[in-house]
Amino acid sequence: MSQMAETRPRLALSRDVLQAFYRLLAAALLCAALALASDAFLTLGNILNVLRQTALLFLMASGLTLVILTAGLDLSVGANIGLSACLAASVIQATGSAGLGVATGIGCGALIGICNGALVAWLRIPSFIATYGMMWMLTGVTYYYMAGETIHGFPPSFRQFGSGYLLGVPIPVYVMVLFLGIGTLFAQRTIWGQQIYALGANPEATRLSGVPVERRLLLVYTFSGAMAGLASLIILARINSAQGDIGEELTLPAIAAVLIGGTSLFGGSGSVSGTLIGALILTLVLNGMNLLQINASWQPLATGLIILLAVGIDTITRRTAP
Amino acid sequence: MSQIRTAALPALARVPGVAIVLVALLVGFSLAGPRFLTPANIANILMQSTVLILLALPMTLIIMTEGLDLSMGAVLTLASIALAMTVVATGSPALGFLAGLAVGLGFGLANGALVALIGIPPFIATLGTLGIAQGLALAVTDGQSVVGIPPSIERVYSGTLFAVPIPIIIGAAAYALGHLLLYHTRFGAAVFALGGNREALRLAGASDRAMLIVVYAVGGLMAGFAALLMTARMNSAHPTAGIGLEFDAIAAVAVGGTSFERGNGWLFGTLLGVVAVGVLRNGLNLLAVPSSAQVACIGALVILALFIDALRSRP
Amino acid sequence: MSAESHSAAPLFALQGISKQFPGVRALDDVSFDIRAGETHMLLGENGAGKSTLMKILCGAYRPDAGAFLVSGEPVSVITPADARRLGIAVIFQEFTLVPYLDIAHNVFLGREFPGRIPGLIDRGRLYRETRRVLDTIGFDIDPRLPVHRLGVAQQQMVEIAKALSQDARILVMDEPTAALSERETERLFAMIARLKARGVAIVYISHRLAEVFALGDRITVLRDGRKVASVLAAQTTPDELVRLMVGRSIDTTYGRHFCDSPGDLALEVKGISADSGISDVSLTVRAGEIVGLAGLVGSGRSEVARAIFGADRITAGEIRMFGAPMDGSPQDSARRGMALIPENRKTQGLALARSVGDNIVLAGLRKMFRSGIFSPRRATEAAQAVIERLRIATPSPRRTVGFLSGGNQQKVVVGKWLNAGARFFIFDEPTRGIDVGAKAEIFKLIDGLAREGAAILMISSEQSEIVHVCDRAYVMRAGRIAGELARQQLTEANIVRLGMHQ
Repeated sequence: MSQMAETRPRLALSRDVLQAFYRLLAAALLCAALALASDAFLTLGNILNVLRQTALLFLMASGLTLVILTAGLDLSVGANIGLSACLAASVIQATGSAGLGVATGIGCGALIGICNGALVAWLRIPSFIATYGMMWMLTGVTYYYMAGETIHGFPPSFRQFGSGYLLGVPIPVYVMVLFLGIGTLFAQRTIWGQQIYALGANPEATRLSGVPVERRLLLVYTFSGAMAGLASLIILARINSAQGDIGEELTLPAIAAVLIGGTSLFGGSGSVSGTLIGALILTLVLNGMNLLQINASWQPLATGLIILLAVGIDTITRRTAP
Repeated sequence: MSQIRTAALPALARVPGVAIVLVALLVGFSLAGPRFLTPANIANILMQSTVLILLALPMTLIIMTEGLDLSMGAVLTLASIALAMTVVATGSPALGFLAGLAVGLGFGLANGALVALIGIPPFIATLGTLGIAQGLALAVTDGQSVVGIPPSIERVYSGTLFAVPIPIIIGAAAYALGHLLLYHTRFGAAVFALGGNREALRLAGASDRAMLIVVYAVGGLMAGFAALLMTARMNSAHPTAGIGLEFDAIAAVAVGGTSFERGNGWLFGTLLGVVAVGVLRNGLNLLAVPSSAQVACIGALVILALFIDALRSRP
Repeated sequence: MSAESHSAAPLFALQGISKQFPGVRALDDVSFDIRAGETHMLLGENGAGKSTLMKILCGAYRPDAGAFLVSGEPVSVITPADARRLGIAVIFQEFTLVPYLDIAHNVFLGREFPGRIPGLIDRGRLYRETRRVLDTIGFDIDPRLPVHRLGVAQQQMVEIAKALSQDARILVMDEPTAALSERETERLFAMIARLKARGVAIVYISHRLAEVFALGDRITVLRDGRKVASVLAAQTTPDELVRLMVGRSIDTTYGRHFCDSPGDLALEVKGISADSGISDVSLTVRAGEIVGLAGLVGSGRSEVARAIFGADRITAGEIRMFGAPMDGSPQDSARRGMALIPENRKTQGLALARSVGDNIVLAGLRKMFRSGIFSPRRATEAAQAVIERLRIATPSPRRTVGFLSGGNQQKVVVGKWLNAGARFFIFDEPTRGIDVGAKAEIFKLIDGLAREGAAILMISSEQSEIVHVCDRAYVMRAGRIAGELARQQLTEANIVRLGMHQ
């Protein structure tokens, strides 16, 4: 019987933990470099800003992580946020109730997620093309609905979500930690999470092990949609206004955060906590660009390059795996 | 034992879906208002569709290879900016045109390399290059339009040759060239094979990777060419001008009957699809439907086309 | 009995070919020659080495030892291009056709004729040449038809035309009539006769004895990677061929304790049919029994397994487990205690990138954690218990399963179902790709399961396995049950006879 001889490692660290460590190291190095490059980096205002941006990005990308874990992709995240935010905004304005607005935002996001899930799981349309079509449809609907207008002025209790502080820390950070916990618990500590990892690694074998694959896919896309809805509320609370183009530039950074965090496009490996680190790294890069007064127009370019880099590394390392 | 899947086409589906859609749209909009079915308006639709046809033709080839190019709109925009800036700086329209082509070709080759050589899935590779092209366009122009373009460029769009508007001639020539390329060359046969049975191409001794790179390069090149038309039409170049046109191109291809798997493509269908998209936009414009809702309708049309395609490939 | 050599040297000859794969010796010192214009039949059970020989012939595999001779002169066949230059063409079961191109473009893919305008294809010539090749094999069809519209038989003809257009002098065909109707088979034979008349040699792999004697000039029988005989068709009989194919020395210990008194009826299948090609299949399996499902490759055994497990939908009939009807989905089957150990464990049985432990608990998650909350500690303990019970050689449950050996990977698949509490197991080729030492362990494992009261349905292409492990067996042929063999009648010869077309 042939077996690969295994040298006993000195520290019993699994490969995933090691990867996470490297990423944290990269983030730390980035911080150090930025602190040296700009005096404005280590100021309280900037640090809080970075934390808030990271939190926002993480919330957008956390649901997306699960989708990518199943070897799928959701290109409609940004458009989802746009529509959910605008609908929630008009509900708040019409009824004055923050609670109803929150329900609308999350509900809209979840509904979009269900549609995506249905297209992918039951109709078996490849996820990137199904969500691409959805993206344009949602974008169109959002612009049509807003008709060029802006909604602003939300009740202060609602605005706290996005702009408020608790113990000196922006509230979105608490939401981030909450969903980091929820997301990680779901992925690592529920049977559905285990099934989703298996699904991403080998859908056919998972199906033949008795796992209802279609239903899990539906779950994953619905969750991703709902998280987009939640993120839209926080953005709304932060900028205190809603316009048709709210969600436009958000899809690319969300995907980038997931990929930088180590989740593979090919499915089966990755983690929600990795996405958090990925969100942090991307935010640091963009923050650094701002501090160094690099034109904001370069940001999509940087994001695009980072995505290509992350995917390229992922693709090449996949070639040598079992 | 696996054999080639036989696409089961029911008899009545011999009539291409896109033809039905086009007729339905024409009839519908004619009934909805008097201003639609006039010669001037029809000519208008055709003129407006010329940029799109230049993008949709290579997109057909790319989709036939089971790929996608999401960066076309952004590359078109960047190419148009390169063209405009070069013309303004050097005063030579020819140099400007070449600059646009170079930008398009460069991105096309980059896309091809990422997909064929490294093996990155096409949608993510072109998503990345989309970001890069978009970023460059914004950064280089600082968000401002490029103006002061000499009238020689503008005449490409407004001029005529033997009483036929130049854009129509360009569109027709592009279609003829595309037809020749796809149905009368080795390269065209290779495109079918790339999507239908890549292994067969390899066994026949051809380099499937090289062919795939060429497919994306052609896409980029055509985007660069289309930049000329777009810049001429607007008589300026703006960093967000062409954004989203790749979606119209993909929609035209999908509605035209080319499927996203199996290497099944129909160039004439794409032509009809382009006209259909143009008719849809024009008709909705005349009904004062805002551009945003138009996009939503096209999105719905794409999903419908995918739905029908999925149903057809089931049995 | 060997064929007398004629005056001319054979067109092509392989001498002393050997090929080893990890854990298995596919070919051992095989010599094989082909003469112009002859139809040389290649016979042997599954795993005898036929397809390896074919792949070496066309340059897809390189042999570890041996020589190639063309008309008596030594030559090297290394790449598929070399083989093609020598005039060798192989028609595999996987067609190399592009569905949306027409016949002519497929036949000349990569070799299209250049027209007068540089870059363009001379279509007129393309269609004329295609017409010419098609006429040679008597295939009357419009070369402009797209290939996806053709039936399997016609696509096969196109493959043959493709091979001939490259001036093939030796055509190798692998079970060409497997998917053909009677009429289509007749047309194929007529075409083969035409090719023979032109001096094309044909190597024809088949299990159908009727064909072997109808078409064959010479017959070579392979067994366990060795050539056992090369005879003239006129000088042998079907019975002798069967004997040559089957006789084998027993070198595997099976260790089976046969079941004399089976328990309750675990599985009852009545008249099931499916789109996958099986029709009117009925069988039963009782607790404590190992029931075999034998037959040749393509006879529909895996399809039956998938239909029973619910992986494919049945269009007729009924499946009951312990008396209760099944819903027909893998989820329902797993929940009710049915297990499928698939034919291809790497693509259908395991998530290779995941750990041993993750794979082991996958099917049993619902049962182990009713509340939905997953405890890694309990999962690891459960996995460890399975690892110890089955003696899976892995340093820890966290090892990536893709790094395990074939035998241990198979144990993980079985372990997955043990963890899920399965009571009825379907094994599809349980020892495929596993070396001899590990095979014995797998058999011991299966035997142990049966003795504990599990009901087992075992599919195997190795007749000796069926004979030495199963209490009784069904034999399939062309999607139907050809017969059932009770313990006393269960011999390799009987299995082969029932399974082959007479």
